Amino acid sequence: MKIVAVTACPTGIAHTYMAAEQLEKTAKALGHQIKVETQGAMGIENALTAADIKEADVVIFAVDIEVEHRERFSARRIVEVPVKEAIKNPHGVFEKISS
Amino acid sequence: MGSSKRSAPDGDARAGSSGAADKRGASPAGSPGERAVSPSGARDIEFRCTLPNGLHARPASLLSEIAARFAADVELINARTGVAANAKSVLELVANDVQLGDHCRIESRGQDAGAAAAALRTFVDQVLPACDTALPETSTESARALPRVLRDSGATWHAGTVVCPGIGRGVLVSADGLTLPADLLEEAALERSAEEDRVRIAITRVRESLTAQLEGRRSPLEADILRAHLSIAGDVGLVEKIHSRVGAGASAANAILDAVEFYADRLLQSGSAYVRERVADVQDVGLQLLEAIYGDRVRSDEITLSVRSVVAAENLTPRQLLAFDKELLAGLVLEHAGATSHAVILARSFGIPTLTGVVGVRSALDSGADVVVDANHGVVIPATLPAVVRFYEREERALRRRRELLASRADRSVETTDGQALEVSANVATAQEIAPAFAAGADGIGLFRTEMLFLEREQAPTEEEQFAVYSEAARTAGGKPVIIRTFDIGGDKPVPYLQLPEEDNPALGLRGVRLYPSQLAVFMTQVRAILRASAHGRVWLMVPMVSALEEVRWVKERIAQVRAELSQSGVAPDPNLRVGIMIEVPALAEMIGQVAAEVDFFSIGTNDLAQYFFAVDRGDRRVAPLSSARHPAFLRLLDRIVRDCRAQGKWIGMCGEMARSPRNLPLLIGLGLDEISTAAPEIPGLKSMVASFSASACRDLLKRALACSSVAEVESAVAAFRARGGARGLIEPGLANVGSDSVTKAEAIREIVNAFYVAGRADDPLAIEEAVWAREAVYSTGLGHGFAIPHCKTDAITTSSIGVVRLAQPVEWGSLDGQPVRCVILLCMRATDEEGVHMRVFSTLARRLMHAEFRDRLMSAPDCDRLLAELGRELGLEVNAG
Repeated sequence: MKIVAVTACPTGIAHTYMAAEQLEKTAKALGHQIKVETQGAMGIENALTAADIKEADVVIFAVDIEVEHRERFSARRIVEVPVKEAIKNPHGVFEKISS
Repeated sequence: MGSSKRSAPDGDARAGSSGAADKRGASPAGSPGERAVSPSGARDIEFRCTLPNGLHARPASLLSEIAARFAADVELINARTGVAANAKSVLELVANDVQLGDHCRIESRGQDAGAAAAALRTFVDQVLPACDTALPETSTESARALPRVLRDSGATWHAGTVVCPGIGRGVLVSADGLTLPADLLEEAALERSAEEDRVRIAITRVRESLTAQLEGRRSPLEADILRAHLSIAGDVGLVEKIHSRVGAGASAANAILDAVEFYADRLLQSGSAYVRERVADVQDVGLQLLEAIYGDRVRSDEITLSVRSVVAAENLTPRQLLAFDKELLAGLVLEHAGATSHAVILARSFGIPTLTGVVGVRSALDSGADVVVDANHGVVIPATLPAVVRFYEREERALRRRRELLASRADRSVETTDGQALEVSANVATAQEIAPAFAAGADGIGLFRTEMLFLEREQAPTEEEQFAVYSEAARTAGGKPVIIRTFDIGGDKPVPYLQLPEEDNPALGLRGVRLYPSQLAVFMTQVRAILRASAHGRVWLMVPMVSALEEVRWVKERIAQVRAELSQSGVAPDPNLRVGIMIEVPALAEMIGQVAAEVDFFSIGTNDLAQYFFAVDRGDRRVAPLSSARHPAFLRLLDRIVRDCRAQGKWIGMCGEMARSPRNLPLLIGLGLDEISTAAPEIPGLKSMVASFSASACRDLLKRALACSSVAEVESAVAAFRARGGARGLIEPGLANVGSDSVTKAEAIREIVNAFYVAGRADDPLAIEEAVWAREAVYSTGLGHGFAIPHCKTDAITTSSIGVVRLAQPVEWGSLDGQPVRCVILLCMRATDEEGVHMRVFSTLARRLMHAEFRDRLMSAPDCDRLLAELGRELGLEVNAG
């Protein structure tokens, strides 16, 4: 599966990146392709392009705050979870998207 | 007598005559400040009080000493209130409530009035402005939030106002003030002559005793207080008041108490808290007089401390405080003393943790209770609960380490890893900023801006006013250099007395040195004040806005002239006084070879230099981006300036905005400056960064930057440099502990925050703690697997930092997996981390922690060094060895 994701937490110092790492690590283990955009204290990094989004089968938002430029994802299937859910139980997140 | 409203121009209500007091409430004076017609023989002196704390005890006693040398009646009239005081009575002078800015008149009358006036004139002009020692700041911190450990402890505490910070623990000892046995006051008076003798003998004995104490070795502060008491004990006003009461049939005891009460009332009416607090001094002297007469019958209950104690009292007289064994006095809790009472001033001079305004402690806590005075957080708290006791043991340990570290750093200059020295100094605009700057580790004052003295006033500051400020600065710096810049004023500054014409383009107009020839008197006055101050420390004089050699020569001639004048009048300025100039006009940068022969040093003012160099008005947002300190052209200019100065063997510093930003620091080290000078709060962070860089790597960076063709290229070179090793300042050995004994989440967080504080990375650990807890409130940072990664973004940290503790005993953290935490990694990011170097390290760390293998390595590192090595390897940081 092709997946794109956005992670964003309140201070953007730690959990944004931990969630991104968990999603990337787990996707790899499950044989998915994933690109994770982080919206943290350094701003947007690894930004998703229109093509990335268009090609993706599903969008994961692991966020505790409003996603920036959310309009990019209109008409896409979005699975939204709290950041800590992605950190604690990334497999659970991927189960959600397959269901 | 005391303060009598001036009621008649012929001055019949002479203060000093014992009947004057009874005229209080007599018909009011003409409008205050109205010039009375002087009777023949009167010599008047007018002056404006420039003492920040008003005419308090010290200057008042000096003034009264001068007045007392003459037979003439001397009166000081405060024009603001219209009240006149006998200038020979310190009490009346102090009670006259002369505050900063008050206009005063001293009138002398009598046979030697002329001589008195001359002596007083000299005193007012030359001694008075400089005889103020800064009183402790009266601004005080009110109770604030407490560390979480204390809030969670379940303890109760009493809040107060911090007047001397610190933490002290001891047995609570309650002290009472003076109580006189009733029978003493009811006792019938002896014959008048016998009572008069008693008073006379008592005064003599008390004065002899005070004099003897003064001759012993005393701190200057104690000596001042003894002198103040000596002067009160011999005060014309007080003595006459006592005798007049005895004359009216009172016993010595009653007469003394009446007189004390009378002056206490006067003093309490003052608008100045400082003056009101002198009441304790008058009472102290009254008590000494009573003791001298009645011995043990009035002896106040002198308390002898036998163990470490916290003394609680409504207030203390200075003598009571001095009587305590300071080794055993752990803290002071005063209910009503003000911040400038002598007891409080003494407590501060001894560094005794002191709170005031703590009401009800003595009734709520029993004498003998084990208590802590926490004058860092403003509470008194019983040391009964184990969590509280632990908290303070840990706090004291942190404070002790911090003191040791600051002491070791204070006089230590900093150098790069390969031994290139760089002085890091402070920019200030007032003398009051100097002591805090040195406390922050400043190597000197790289720029003392003097404009503050000149702005927003009707007349230029006098030589004495300036001398007071500059000499205080020189003294406070204690042998470290203070670079005083002569006034840099132009047409854009509102200085009415200079009558500067409006200019279309003041930045390019008549400002700085260009203004001096047309404002010669103002300039010469300042130079005189600076040269005189140079006798009190290491003063350097710096001239702004120089663009031509002729200007330098002109200034040097004026300085030579002032020097000659001063030496004629017996004042000896520092013969080694250095004279230097600012480099802020690009033309001067082309003249260093010629100018260097005339000056001792240079300091680069980067703000104006960049503005003139780029032809960009900093204030114009449309063009401001065209000017950048990291422009290769600007760096080339700086490089050439520093090389030319070096070639001439001249000292070269930098005091502009460019020196402030940590991201410029490697470039500045690469340039090879002798000094950078910036805002004091930046100094600890900059100094620790200097120590983390290699000068040769910085020179390589500069070389690359000089070859760049745009600001963007320079910035990416700098960013790459800092990312490679420049961010290693994130962590240091003192910030890791593999054997922490913290037993709660709150203790673990406090431990790391204190480690930042100890390392000089934060001045206010509580502010960081609060920021961390604010983040925890969103949801716990326990990420599972026994790890927690609390974090915050705050400017309470001077440089972004990582602290790590591994806990001997796992603590509950509310983690995602419900498991207790064994390793805590606290990330504290500066809110203004401009370029994200530190943030990148944090995000990398956060990602790596998702990997069990990295976590295992952190958990199994046998000691702090190995733990830091693991972190450093993973994050691409080099960690300096201790």
